[in-house]
Amino acid sequence: MQSLWSMKAGESCEILAYDDVLAGPYRVRLMEFGFHPGETVVCLQAPAFGAPKVYRVSNTIFSLDDEVATHIRVRVYA
Amino acid sequence: MPRVLLIGSPNSGKSLLFNRLTGLSQKVANFPGITVDVGVGTLQDMRERELVDFPGTYSLQPISAEERVAVAEFEKALENEEVEQVLCLIDATRLEKSLYFTLQVIRDCQRAGKPVTVLANMIDVLDRHSLTFDTEGLAQAVGVPVLAISARSGKGLDQIVPRLQENAGVQQGRVDGKLAGAPDELLRGEAHQLARRFGPKGDVLVRSQTRLDSFFLHSFTGGIAFFVIMFLLFQSIFTWSAPAMDAVETALAWMADLVVPLLGEGIARDFTADALFSGIGAFLVFVPQIFVLTFIVGLLEDSGYMARAALICHKPLRIFGLTGKSFVPMLSGVACAIPGIYAARAIDSPRKRLLTYMAIPLMPCSARLPVYSLLIAAFIPAGTAFGGLVGWQGLAMFGIYFFGMLCGLLVTGVVSRMSKDHFNDLPFVLELPPYRMPGLQPLLRNAWNRAMHFVTKAGKIIFTVTLVIWVLGYFPNFGADLGESWLGHLGRLIEPLFAPLGLDWRYGVAIATSFLAREVFVGTLGTIFGIEGAEENMVPLVDHIQASGMAIGSGVALLVFFAIALQCVSTLAILAKESESRSLAIKMFFGYFAFAYFAALATFHVVNLLVG
Ligand SMILES: Nc1nc2c(ncn2[C@@H]2O[C@H](COP(=O)(O)OP(=O)(O)O)[C@@H](O)[C@H]2O)c(=O)[nH]1
Repeated sequence: MQSLWSMKAGESCEILAYDDVLAGPYRVRLMEFGFHPGETVVCLQAPAFGAPKVYRVSNTIFSLDDEVATHIRVRVYA
Repeated sequence: MPRVLLIGSPNSGKSLLFNRLTGLSQKVANFPGITVDVGVGTLQDMRERELVDFPGTYSLQPISAEERVAVAEFEKALENEEVEQVLCLIDATRLEKSLYFTLQVIRDCQRAGKPVTVLANMIDVLDRHSLTFDTEGLAQAVGVPVLAISARSGKGLDQIVPRLQENAGVQQGRVDGKLAGAPDELLRGEAHQLARRFGPKGDVLVRSQTRLDSFFLHSFTGGIAFFVIMFLLFQSIFTWSAPAMDAVETALAWMADLVVPLLGEGIARDFTADALFSGIGAFLVFVPQIFVLTFIVGLLEDSGYMARAALICHKPLRIFGLTGKSFVPMLSGVACAIPGIYAARAIDSPRKRLLTYMAIPLMPCSARLPVYSLLIAAFIPAGTAFGGLVGWQGLAMFGIYFFGMLCGLLVTGVVSRMSKDHFNDLPFVLELPPYRMPGLQPLLRNAWNRAMHFVTKAGKIIFTVTLVIWVLGYFPNFGADLGESWLGHLGRLIEPLFAPLGLDWRYGVAIATSFLAREVFVGTLGTIFGIEGAEENMVPLVDHIQASGMAIGSGVALLVFFAIALQCVSTLAILAKESESRSLAIKMFFGYFAFAYFAALATFHVVNLLVG
């Protein structure tokens, strides 16, 4: 299964679901930021050394680290 | 006076709008953090109403304790009779982020019977890209008026007061609407739909931002840019604030020269010269550093670079329980802990902010430098090693600097592992705001406010402590001999504490006085050894210390002690104010004292073993 964290720069994906390990309030916060299941997310940058990656969702740019991004299931568009 | 609440999510332009409407000067920053202070001001065009600037939160569903406080405050305010109506500010360029919050606000206001007006800000940005915003449509969809405004250009601001006046006529408790009964989940879905319908399409708004990001966040160019910017930041603290600090000192000395001779001989003269002027000087010298650093940190925040810097150093700092946002406060701490502690305000997670507070006082601040110089000159041999490549003294200076930073990271690493309360912590989801041209005037004003905050909040404590130490050192023999003063006796009293480090009472006294500021250690030792002007020229004092035959172990132990101990009343005062916890400051003082003491003790024995 692919996660938001496994994306490479330039790829876009559709958010499928959140893992259960992600605490409830975190999920709510992510949705508030626009990371809804069904939404399209573009990975703008995946810096070296495991630094947080940069994603665009609607017209806002966010940076997420692996602690959060590995728990967001996605389907990468071909 | 009836009040109007102003709320909105972080970075939606709330402070700028507040300043516009009230003519006051709140801090404006292009950084998604929580506005800590609640501002209150009179509306300029509606003098009979007060505008209350509420802390920005992303939603009314709080995660951290701090957000809970903000939300609880808001709900309490809605119950308040005095609160007449609410202005809810959203960023029209980023609807998704603000709409859920807006719907929650509308719902809660409808329940409480307070009229709401939605202000869609940053309309100038949409104009620039020839995008339109359908205020009418959104107003119909949410059932409350929506005004398109720009807090920056001023467009649309003139509609606000007429709107408020209209709402002022609405009888309290009479508002109800279709959202009043809606549960959170429903609002969330609704917000998402609305954002899709009314939000700007495509990525036109973020294209230029993306281009800059591919430079500033690139593994290579971004790394170099980061290094250069941080180097400049660090340099400017020293090169810009050092002359100003000198100027403050010179001005005070000049005033003292003017006043002191008028007082003749005796206690009045000594008091004025030594307690009054040095007491004021003790905290005034910090003002330039605070001003300069606040200004530069403001530049970083407002330009949008700060969020990128936080991203770049997030990973390495996370190992130690910190976040990328801890970096700039800690780097500031290398110059001086006080502006560093102020800079930590931008850390939204309370837990990470606390850990950053713990790390900052261990950063090797510039007040430690004179102490290190003295001790290294006195105890570390001047010779070189590795064929003249490295000098022992330089190596020792580097080592003790590095040691301080390492201790800071170790402390936070250990503490964060001991106390894992993940669920009250915020996840690292950092909004990267667009790059913007910083507005200089608000930044200068903010830097000035910060400096004044320090003077008014910490000045009293620092001044009092200076007075107490002066009285202890002056009486009962009127300044004739520090060794025979109460302070001298106190030094002998605590001598057993420092004896295990091979230090006698004189060092005890010097350590006690260095609580004012670490560099006072040098001057006090000079006074005790009867050497004038030891602060300017350390050589005679160095000779004296060497001649006294103190062991090298004691010298190195003192270095270690000063690297760790939180010997600084100003830092403690500001720590207590900023964390709103006096007990945190007290605990940190004693905790770091114990840590410093035992680390020094261990060092003393190890060095003696090695040398002996
Ligand atoms: N272009 C534009 N920028 C704005 C506008 N309002 C605020 N800003 C900028 O947005 C950033 C955040 O503003 P601030 O007032 O600190 O937001 P707060 O966090 O909600 O208090 C700052 O860089 C402001 O200069 C606006 O109407 N148009």
